[in-house]
Amino acid sequence: MGDKTDVWQGTLALMVLRTLESMGPQHGYGLARRIEQTSGDLLQLNYGTLYPALLKLEQEGYIKSSWGTSENNRKAKFYDLTKAGHRQLKRAAAEWEQTTAILARFLTPAEEA
Amino acid sequence: MRQLRAFAHRLGNLVRRNRGEADFGAELESHIALDTDAGIRTGLDPAEARRQALIRLGGAEQAKQAHRDRRTLPWAEDLIHDLRYGVRMMARNPSFTAVAVLTMAIGIGATATAFTWINGVLLRPLGGVTDPNHLVVLETVTPNGELVPNSYPDFIDFRDRLKLLDGIAVTRPTALSVGRDDHADRVWGELVSGNFFQVLGVTPEAGRLFLPAEFADAPGKFPIVVLSDRYWRSHFNADLSIIGRTIPINQHELTVVGVASPSFHGSLPVTAFDVWIPYMEQPALNGVQEWMLRDRHNRNMLGIARLKQSVSIEQARGELKTLADFMAIANSNVSEGMSATLVPLSESPHGPQGLLAGPLRILMGVCILVLLIVCANVANLLLARATVREKEFTARLALGANRSRLARQVLTESLLLTGSGALLGLAVAPWMSHALRSLMPPGPMQQLVAMDTRPDLAVLAFTAGVCIFAAVTAGLVPALQVGRLNLSARLNAGARSGTASRSRNRLRSILVGAEVALALVTLVGAGLFARGFFETMHIDPGFNPDHVLLNQFYLNTNGYPLAQRKEFCRRLAERMQAAPGVTDVAYSDGVPLNFEPSWWEELKIEGYGPRPNENMSIFRNVISPGYLPLMHIPIVEGRNFTEADNEDKTSPDVMIVNEAFVRRFFHGRDPIGTRIHGWGSWFRVVGVAKDSKYHYLGESTPAYFYVPFRQIYREDMNLAFYVRTKGEPDSVLSTLRALVRGLDPNVTVFDAAPLKEYIGASLYPQKIAASLMCGLGSIALLLAALGLYSVMAYSVAQRTQEIGVRMALGARPAHVLGMVIKQGLALTAGGLIVGTALAIAMARAVSSVSFSNSAMGSSATLLGDGANHPLIYIAAAAFLCVIATIACVLPARRAAAIDPMQALRIE
Repeated sequence: MGDKTDVWQGTLALMVLRTLESMGPQHGYGLARRIEQTSGDLLQLNYGTLYPALLKLEQEGYIKSSWGTSENNRKAKFYDLTKAGHRQLKRAAAEWEQTTAILARFLTPAEEA
Repeated sequence: MRQLRAFAHRLGNLVRRNRGEADFGAELESHIALDTDAGIRTGLDPAEARRQALIRLGGAEQAKQAHRDRRTLPWAEDLIHDLRYGVRMMARNPSFTAVAVLTMAIGIGATATAFTWINGVLLRPLGGVTDPNHLVVLETVTPNGELVPNSYPDFIDFRDRLKLLDGIAVTRPTALSVGRDDHADRVWGELVSGNFFQVLGVTPEAGRLFLPAEFADAPGKFPIVVLSDRYWRSHFNADLSIIGRTIPINQHELTVVGVASPSFHGSLPVTAFDVWIPYMEQPALNGVQEWMLRDRHNRNMLGIARLKQSVSIEQARGELKTLADFMAIANSNVSEGMSATLVPLSESPHGPQGLLAGPLRILMGVCILVLLIVCANVANLLLARATVREKEFTARLALGANRSRLARQVLTESLLLTGSGALLGLAVAPWMSHALRSLMPPGPMQQLVAMDTRPDLAVLAFTAGVCIFAAVTAGLVPALQVGRLNLSARLNAGARSGTASRSRNRLRSILVGAEVALALVTLVGAGLFARGFFETMHIDPGFNPDHVLLNQFYLNTNGYPLAQRKEFCRRLAERMQAAPGVTDVAYSDGVPLNFEPSWWEELKIEGYGPRPNENMSIFRNVISPGYLPLMHIPIVEGRNFTEADNEDKTSPDVMIVNEAFVRRFFHGRDPIGTRIHGWGSWFRVVGVAKDSKYHYLGESTPAYFYVPFRQIYREDMNLAFYVRTKGEPDSVLSTLRALVRGLDPNVTVFDAAPLKEYIGASLYPQKIAASLMCGLGSIALLLAALGLYSVMAYSVAQRTQEIGVRMALGARPAHVLGMVIKQGLALTAGGLIVGTALAIAMARAVSSVSFSNSAMGSSATLLGDGANHPLIYIAAAAFLCVIATIACVLPARRAAAIDPMQALRIE
């Protein structure tokens, strides 16, 4: 179980970083919605689990947060990438691509052979 | 790196928990509001929109918990909670806390003190030297396997030929007088080989130490001296200009070349010397003849050597033994059968540590016993409290608390208790450590003792270890108990439980039994040591020390040549004899039952063929004719020495032997007139003296002999002066002072004392062992009685209901009383059986511990004769039974006085 959440945490972190990169500063609710939308509503996110992941990223220094006002004038906490976050995103994305590429080789039926 | 950063964040958040909590609360609120807004925009009514937002969130409380776990460190937070809770519990039960913390403080304080001493005396014996782990003590071994000091010529051979050692130095502790005429101070110093500081790796505080050019073996070449830092500060105000100037030592000008580093106090553990002088200055300093320095017989140098890196002590020992065995053959006239060996610094038989090692080990053992009793006590207290808190624990379990979490809390609380106890104990420990000085025999030894008593890292680490050990020992049983709490049974049966649960009863019984057993061991120990001490006290020393004043003169420190010293003695004795109130006067080299090693001489006895490897080194004393009559030691055969037995060439050398000597060497032959060879000449036996005690009251009498002062007295011997008086010995002290001053104003009477007090020193190790054991024994007894009482009282209180039922059904108070006492005594009996077995094992182990101030075959055991005194065991057991009975009767009577109706209504 622990391993599964680690994988989930890792991918969720990557999704958060990527979303922040493409959308700029965003509050938690917006991030959650955006991640759902991007996944084509395939991902049913339990919004509560997003916040510990955000906190972890912030503790690690990849994102920073500050209170601001939302588009419909509500007070909300906004998250933004840091420099370290940009670097981490590049690194993690590359790793993930490599992993999926390797896995893809295993999962697609062998043709050349 | 990133993990570390995150960890630091979480650690920081521990401190400002509330802020994060509020912040996240606000964030969640805003999240829900945003989501609700979105819902409303899709046409839902506000209440439904909010409901769905909450569903999508997956529970606000869960989200908060998950966030909290990530925000801080959950285990650390638990720990803080437990600690806070523990402190609150401690504050709420001040009497419980006080008892537990104080008992812990006693246990841990005693153990820490004992360890401080052991650490100072045995574990890090020498300060101010480089890499003490490679230092070893070099000892000459007699054919009998005894360890003795070395001679200077042997040292030169060792030094020049051994390859596995990185240098050997020799040293001889000695008293010196520093200053001129009547301003002289008596100072203890070491006469050392030139390479002494180099071998030990000492650095100078000021000036320099001895240079390689000054390592030479030529007598009298280098009149130089190195001072200790403390002497330099106390006597010269740390004045740098003293370096290069001369100071008079033994009326002889020596140039101060330097001051040793402040942490260096010399080559004997726990001993502080103040000056170091090249050994080869002896002829000038105290008139020792040059031939004595070249005499292989003259074994008076303590050897200290440094092992080369990566050479083991066994390898070096092997090399040394090969060389020493070869030397024994090459110098067979003096060294036949002798060998040499290396021993670790901490096992050196010389100096205070030889006296203290045995008693200290025993002290440590006793402290651990006391600590165990303390742990049993605190465990019992915690267990009793755990029962009281059973409801609290079951409630928490029912609300979903984790068992391991509860057990952890109990352990945290016990750690808190022992921790406070340890702090208290540590605060007392340095102060206690100074008491070590008072454990040394009075006289020169006591002045010399200097120990670094600041608690160092080793002591702190040890105390922390003891603290955790105590916390776990005391807390484990209650913690396990919590883990075993049966939730449903407790909730169902809780209100109507007749007695406490069976397993808990068994546990507590075991604890009480253990306490009784430990208390018995300490009691028996105290009894055995006390008995051993008093038995020795009542041994007849074979001479009469009452009404005798003793003064030791250090005439060599006054630069007296030999003839003048003898003349001084003769004239002082003559004048003293004429003084009012004086009945006898005598002088000698050695003092009986003194705590300094006595000397011996290797003898050849006419008509006696020694067995191969038989040790023919026999202890001796050099005495004036008045000595035996003054001591009231009768001559059983032949005659006493007279003034006619003197230096004169026409008077033959004579000797008096003791009865043990006759038994050993003469086998029924008449000893009178026999010729005995020693000191290079033949002596004729003229008398046999009655046996007396020479080194320790507990010793089995060794063969011993006396030679006349005037014939044998030499430069390197001591001088003890005795005056027997009609009244109190102190009454002639002023007369003695005046007469000495009349003879020579430069000679001072430093430390005259009644002989009776002086020889008390020989009882010291036993006295220490006995008094420490009695002190700690009574603490142990008190603790055990306290534990016993609290447990009995508690278990009776637990059974109030049961007792009520019994009495309602017709049991009489006497029955109840009997039942409770019977149970208490059964427990005690169990403990006593185990305790007796342990005590016998302990007595066996301890009876082999002996003490000695030299390894020259003469030592005495701490326990006196054997450890089997059934009476002590019986008395200790009976005593504990009485205590146990009292501990049972008080609560039992309270129980028997219960009104049955009231007892039944309880709860």
